[in-house]
Amino acid sequence: MPDNPYINLLVTAALTVLFIIGTSYGLGALARAIVRARGGTPKHQQNTFAGYFFAAPWIIGFLIFVAVPLGLSLYWSFTDYRVTFTHAPNWVGLENYIHLITKDSGFRASIVNTLYYTIIGLPLQMGVALLLAVLLNQKMKGERVFRMAFYLPVVLGFNAAVLLVWRLMLNTGTGIINQIIRSISTSVPAIGYVVRAEIYVHEVINAFFLGITNGNFNLLHKVIETGFPAANRVPLWVQSPLWSKMPIVLLMVWGCGTMMLIFLAGLNNIPRELQEAAEVDGASSWQRFWKISFPLLSPYIFYNLIVGLISTLQIFEPIYVLYRDNQPLVPSAISMVYYLWQKTFSHFEIGYGSAISWVIMIIILIITLIQFRLQNRWVTYDIY
Amino acid sequence: MKRNWQIVKSIVLYILLTAATIMMCFPLFWMISSSLKTISETNSPGIVWIPAQPSLQAYLDLLQNPTFLRVYFNSVFTTTLAIVGTLISIAAVAYAFSRVEWPGRDIVFFVMLSTMMIPPQALIVPQYVLFNKINWVGTFNPIVIPGYFAGGASMVFLLRQSMSQIPKELDESAFVDGASHFQIWWNIILPLVRAPLATVSTFLFVGLWNNLLGPLMYLQSVGLYTLPVYTSTLYNINQTVQPWPTIMAAAVLTTVPLIIVFFFAQRYILEGVVVTGMKG
Repeated sequence: MPDNPYINLLVTAALTVLFIIGTSYGLGALARAIVRARGGTPKHQQNTFAGYFFAAPWIIGFLIFVAVPLGLSLYWSFTDYRVTFTHAPNWVGLENYIHLITKDSGFRASIVNTLYYTIIGLPLQMGVALLLAVLLNQKMKGERVFRMAFYLPVVLGFNAAVLLVWRLMLNTGTGIINQIIRSISTSVPAIGYVVRAEIYVHEVINAFFLGITNGNFNLLHKVIETGFPAANRVPLWVQSPLWSKMPIVLLMVWGCGTMMLIFLAGLNNIPRELQEAAEVDGASSWQRFWKISFPLLSPYIFYNLIVGLISTLQIFEPIYVLYRDNQPLVPSAISMVYYLWQKTFSHFEIGYGSAISWVIMIIILIITLIQFRLQNRWVTYDIY
Repeated sequence: MKRNWQIVKSIVLYILLTAATIMMCFPLFWMISSSLKTISETNSPGIVWIPAQPSLQAYLDLLQNPTFLRVYFNSVFTTTLAIVGTLISIAAVAYAFSRVEWPGRDIVFFVMLSTMMIPPQALIVPQYVLFNKINWVGTFNPIVIPGYFAGGASMVFLLRQSMSQIPKELDESAFVDGASHFQIWWNIILPLVRAPLATVSTFLFVGLWNNLLGPLMYLQSVGLYTLPVYTSTLYNINQTVQPWPTIMAAAVLTTVPLIIVFFFAQRYILEGVVVTGMKG
């Protein structure tokens, strides 16, 4: 292969295209031969060839990049395989899984963090998304511009470069967010008290979650003993393990545009006549929302809940950009996928990493199955 | 009375929406404003909304920095190559699933839909071993080539849905005229699904341009870095003073293509999200 990376890529891409065309043709011809041997009509033969020929890129890619890797990683998850091994890996049975579930404190931290994002982050994110969708659904001029503005963070927000602006804004001393909090709380003392109360509640909750992670609640006692925060206290966003989860939650809320669009589609599907009939009967807009819109929205809420839950397992870019190697902060904020990445690529323990990825996959499968089971129960599809 | 109430209501609505817009777009404003500041302004204890004397120094530094230019080129180069290959292969596979009757189609389609449940990260470990075996670590190949195999089941699904809606008579009459499947695909079907193709390419662009995990794992030298990886190295936790104006200028330059694409393709994106329920 040529040393120049650009020419290397061009050559590899050209060879890949030739490879795909060749194997697609082979697969199509093979399928056609089978159909011919079974006595299919010429038209059927032609369609079989075309079907397999056109679908082949996906079929081949599935085998090379999904099926075989999945099989190998299942095997490796029962071994002590490392990238540096020149000999065959040793079979260790369930040892990786047992260690992961019973002894691995980092993995336990990632589970507790996921729980935090699910219990505290997701409702906030979905609430804001629903609020914005309801506001946009009022159908007034300029709705399109607002919709764009609310969706823009989703397009930009997962870019590491853009995430860095949050690192700048969340700086404890000189960041704009804390500056604004500081100037408001000094000029309006009442708001200052609210901010301090919020800081207190927040730290107690986070100390509790850190307590579950660490297995002892010393920090929680300390926070409660310290008592009501002093007048000049501000949130320590990217500085203290007590706060490190909050920026991630903020970013979740900031990127709620996808959920908002789903809710908006749901609101659009609500028959106008229902609303009008209720209005004629004298229902207030508050009643109309809770009795008509909300039940009809439940499938969309449920969908957003499941997708949101799965994506909290996979939060990666924000943690990498905000914390990266910052030791006490990383374990207090990591998601499961971040832990997988950290574990696999710091020590190149492929066996252990494979076990983690299988556990994550099983969790996601379980969540998805629960979704299919439960949605018939409390989600209203049949009001129409 | 009712009329007044309507006016008050719409005023309140606009105020709320404007406030939300300001909050959602504030990071963008702050990014641009900070890129025009000096280092001492970005680290000052007082609020500097807009720098008194906007300085383009950070941009000049970046544009004269050969590493940054190379990194920018890397991003453009890999993204372009990946989009072209992925788009064509996705269009071919969607054609097979929507316009051709072949034995086994429903089974293969079902398997493809099931793969949407596999989190991509579950595959990073074995794929890394695979790419390590064939010496692709330290090249652009692992972040571009997998897409050539119709990477992205949800995108295939989106395109299949649009292709299914085209009347069957179109290709049947073309068949009678002696056209081949390839000709029908290229000359008849593809021109009719231009809008969905635009949606798919926009999604692909956003995903590839923002991709961090892949490049982080496989591009192991600065010369190969793409923009997200390079920009995140500008922020170094061990430095006492971060060069914020430079970092923010790099962020602005990274964002510009995204904003341009979003601006022109927003109609497709906003519709596509609802069809596939996918993240941008």
